[in-house]
Amino acid sequence: MASINHSQWRVIGLETHDAFMNMALDEACSEAVASGASAPTIRFYQWKPSAVSIGYFQSLEDEVAVSKCVDAGVDIIRRRTGGGAVYHDFDGEITYSILAPENIMPSGITESYHLICGWIVDGLREIGIESEFKPINDIIAVGAGGGKKISGNAQTRRNGVLLQHGTILHDVDVRKMFSLLKVGQEKIADKMIAAVEERVTCVKRLSSVTKDELYEGLLKGFTKGKEWEFGTWSAGELERAKKLVVERYRTDDWGWMR
Amino acid sequence: MNGVATKKVIGGKLLRVKSVFGERIESVQLTGDFFLHPEDLVSRVEEALVGIPVASSADIFLEAIRRSVSEHGIQLIGIAPEDIASTLLESFRTS
Repeated sequence: MASINHSQWRVIGLETHDAFMNMALDEACSEAVASGASAPTIRFYQWKPSAVSIGYFQSLEDEVAVSKCVDAGVDIIRRRTGGGAVYHDFDGEITYSILAPENIMPSGITESYHLICGWIVDGLREIGIESEFKPINDIIAVGAGGGKKISGNAQTRRNGVLLQHGTILHDVDVRKMFSLLKVGQEKIADKMIAAVEERVTCVKRLSSVTKDELYEGLLKGFTKGKEWEFGTWSAGELERAKKLVVERYRTDDWGWMR
Repeated sequence: MNGVATKKVIGGKLLRVKSVFGERIESVQLTGDFFLHPEDLVSRVEEALVGIPVASSADIFLEAIRRSVSEHGIQLIGIAPEDIASTLLESFRTS
């Protein structure tokens, strides 16, 4: 086996998969990084069909309007990371994952969120949007962005590998999001939508930059100062991911775990 | 009996505690958008509460949670042991 240069990052350029394959690739890549078979990896991806992902600790029943998702052709998946429910609109966002050995990343969870979120901040700056990391795991757009959330992130560490993934919103349809997620006890949906609109923003509201241009900016921000090259999934990673789709991510045992 | 209570931690995350109990706790489930590392060990915290009399003082629940967190090297982000204990107590009142 050719030796892996662990100081060089592999970048998997923007690709599109369904929710199950996206999360399975994260896990397969994590295993490959843990064994040394793959270099630390940065990947960018979209979700087709659009999907709702919930955090590891969330109750699917409590968070997702399942029948509405089924009717809309929106996939539902549980992530291995904690955090909240996210609507991944194919047209509206770009998702990234970082998969790296823990020993090349800060040991503190907050510090590592800060570091990786800093790459997103750099990427948004490339397209003229000023933002900052807001602990625990958000990025907010400052200045014209009004301190509204433009990116959410979640991290897990397993077998010596750090996985952090997150979304950067290019466009957001709050009404659609609300139709797919349960909103708790609030009875006045319009008030809730207005409240969310006050807290969330997206690239399209701040700039005329396209989603492709957003991706190019993020690529620059994530790779700045790093030794890196574009790469592809190994045959082993793809095979393992396909297995994980069937054995974990599509199963009711996983999805309805809590 | 079944109980449920929810807490939005200021500056933190949302925690929901679902409890099943008689005179003692039979089961507890913690859900929400918090983070807990390592993730699989959330069950250790839940199991640490099983068997404790429902009429116990808040300190008893808090001590059991803290001990479980400490023994298993668990890191909580967005919620604290105090939040779990107070929300658990609240869940008994909503049954």
